[in-house]
Amino acid sequence: MGAWGDLRDVAKGWRWGRRTLVPRSASRHTPTRLRGQFPTAWARTPVAKAAREVLLSYGLRPLVRNETAPKVHGLENLEGLEGPVILVSNHTSHLDASLIMTSLPRKWREKTATGAAADYFFDTWWRSIFTALVYNAFPIDRTGRGHGATDASHMLHDGWSLIVFPEGTRSPDGWMQRFRTGAARLAVQHAVPVVPIAIRGAYAAMPKGRNWPRPGRLAISVRFGRPLHPGEDEDHRSLTRRMFQAVAELFDEDSTTWFESVRRAERGETPAPSGPEGPRWLRAWEASRSLPRRGRRPAWRR
Amino acid sequence: MPRPGFVLEVDERTPPVLVHEGEGFRLQRFPLGSRVVYPPDPLPGIKDVGAAIRHALENPVGSEPLSELLKPGMRLTIAVDDISIPLPPMKPPDIRQRILEQVVEAAARNGVDDAKIIVATALHRRMTADEIKRMVGERVFRSFYPKDLYNFDAEEPGSLLEIGTTDEGEVVEISKRAAESDLIVYVNINLVAMDGGHKSVAIGLAGYRSLRHHHNVHTMLHSRSYMDPRPGRSAIHDSATRMGHVLRDNGVRIFAIETTLNSETFPSQFGFLNKREWEWSLKDQALFLAAKRANELAPPRVRREVWRRIEAPYGVTGVNAGETEAVHERTLANLYRQQLVEVGGQSDVLVLGVPYVGPYNVNSIMNPILVHCLGLGYLFNMYRNQPLVRQGGAVIMFHPVPWEFHQIHHPSYVDFFEEVLVETADPKTIESKFEERYATDPWYVHLYRTSHAYHGVHPFYMWYWGAHGMDHAADVIVVGGDPRSCARMGYRTASSFRDALEMATDTVGASPSITYLHVPPLAIAEVR
Repeated sequence: MGAWGDLRDVAKGWRWGRRTLVPRSASRHTPTRLRGQFPTAWARTPVAKAAREVLLSYGLRPLVRNETAPKVHGLENLEGLEGPVILVSNHTSHLDASLIMTSLPRKWREKTATGAAADYFFDTWWRSIFTALVYNAFPIDRTGRGHGATDASHMLHDGWSLIVFPEGTRSPDGWMQRFRTGAARLAVQHAVPVVPIAIRGAYAAMPKGRNWPRPGRLAISVRFGRPLHPGEDEDHRSLTRRMFQAVAELFDEDSTTWFESVRRAERGETPAPSGPEGPRWLRAWEASRSLPRRGRRPAWRR
Repeated sequence: MPRPGFVLEVDERTPPVLVHEGEGFRLQRFPLGSRVVYPPDPLPGIKDVGAAIRHALENPVGSEPLSELLKPGMRLTIAVDDISIPLPPMKPPDIRQRILEQVVEAAARNGVDDAKIIVATALHRRMTADEIKRMVGERVFRSFYPKDLYNFDAEEPGSLLEIGTTDEGEVVEISKRAAESDLIVYVNINLVAMDGGHKSVAIGLAGYRSLRHHHNVHTMLHSRSYMDPRPGRSAIHDSATRMGHVLRDNGVRIFAIETTLNSETFPSQFGFLNKREWEWSLKDQALFLAAKRANELAPPRVRREVWRRIEAPYGVTGVNAGETEAVHERTLANLYRQQLVEVGGQSDVLVLGVPYVGPYNVNSIMNPILVHCLGLGYLFNMYRNQPLVRQGGAVIMFHPVPWEFHQIHHPSYVDFFEEVLVETADPKTIESKFEERYATDPWYVHLYRTSHAYHGVHPFYMWYWGAHGMDHAADVIVVGGDPRSCARMGYRTASSFRDALEMATDTVGASPSITYLHVPPLAIAEVR
């Protein structure tokens, strides 16, 4: 085989330009590479902030709204709040960060950063630059051996609000998973409020495994809740439970009404956002139902 | 903590896998579901090797410290493993040099005058002065060579002494100088589990009369495997142990110094050869492409020279000294820690990439018989419990098997290939009909003693090493092999791996299970 054949084999075998994959049976034996901290401080300079605003307002936001039909509720809960805050949301889709960033009012958006998995979003130079610039992201090592928590701590200290997905990864079946305690630890440590967010419909629009939304401009709901302030003696476990409950109530509110959800919450009957019991296929099936379109139907079918 | 070895199951995410093929390598895609056995990561090397050697010599197991054994007026013989290990040769300073320097220093300080260093070549070729110098270091070489540092000569009249006979009737005959010494210090490198132990003195310093008791077809067929020297598993090791006991019982005092190395087999410019493929960085991929292209474009002489010059940056993982068996037990534990990989069950097809160097072609040419020895002899036997391939399965090897011989190092190989293998490839027939004649041929003896030739009987032993593999596998197919030389040895050839698998279906059916032993770096499969 000639040089071109070898080059082709290597380019194909190692997926040049795409993410290198680890064979399944080797994943247990392959440590997540501890990346040298990809520098992201440049993404918070005035020039990068201006570029990001342009990209978000005139690029990402129209794109998201062209491909999906997001409805944003509860932004009034941010009124009167002084940053920084930690925005916590359920996580089912790559759309989530884009939805939150493009839903936030500009003054919040300008001072918000996103924690992103180092092994996924910072694995190649071009993906690292894109992620850092568009989402003002900083790498989080999901193995717990990296500096993600330290970086987040520094950023909160510097007045940056953070978007954190406490589940740690996208839900495999569209339903909410257990919350990890990292976000609550940060909130307790820095005494900053936590703003819960529930995103419904993103799994149906673009589940794990897809890199572009399903056609049909599916409805998505982004619902912001009331901020949760860590109590004086509250520990991170308790705050994590409250965060989980708050997101669960937002789900309930979004699928019924605010009044009903409050009544159910008072009775301790808020439906679990972890979804129905049953086999994985059934859970995924239920989660992949698209949300009913509310409001006026467009005159022309898309 | 270095990662242990493991068995990869090839899936659609698996990049092509590196396969050695003589003085070259290729990327090969394997069918989905194939297994690839990867060796453990290199163990960390000892930081202060000098201190480790000192500690081993002063705190030996089952023996007094070396300094107490060295006395004025004594006869001291230091024997040392020859160039056949490690593979590739170790980046200087060789661990043997570091040990020899301390042993010689101790001898000098304790008033020993009569000290000789013997390279334990048995029936291997004599090492050249430059090779010895590289191995023992300039200081030892200058002090001892040539009078007191020399190659063992198994054919020198009167140079061997019969020590006794084992219960099984095996004659134990070793170097007279060593046997009559007050102390033999044996400096060993244990590259694989086959090396060391009683094998060092009882084989390394023995001649044909003694070696024939274990270097024969019957013993090789009952050594399952060579990499498992536990009693009852390997007939060759059982025989060596019996001989070692005869030496011990007849007052031959041996102070064994055994060392183990980690698996840092290739230098940084060939670093990709040490890595698991999916962990190759862009730099590794570029290095692979550049190295492969340069290797293919280089004239054969240049290519061979480049490979020949590879020096392994091995780290030393253990130095143990003292009584032979106690030391060897520790050595084996260390070695298995580096090389053992657990594998679940046998497969229908075993795939082997035969690399450019084996024990008997260092600074030489790997002729077809050595390919047979390295592939079916050594690599096939890199297992414990049971072979990686089932009885009646197929072995697919990658090697060009050129019809090429080193005229100085391997003269008897040429005749073996041209005369013996033309008639039969059956080890038993070969042994009974031809061995004695080649072993006693005066011309081969002359070349062995005065030139740098392997002994006349050596190609026979190489053929016997593969006897178990030949007996076990129903089919041997060589990808990219020279059809003429392969046919001479009873192998079939294929131009591609796909063709080889297609050909193997005659033996193992249409959907065989496949295991590829990804070596070097070396791994021993513990097959459950």
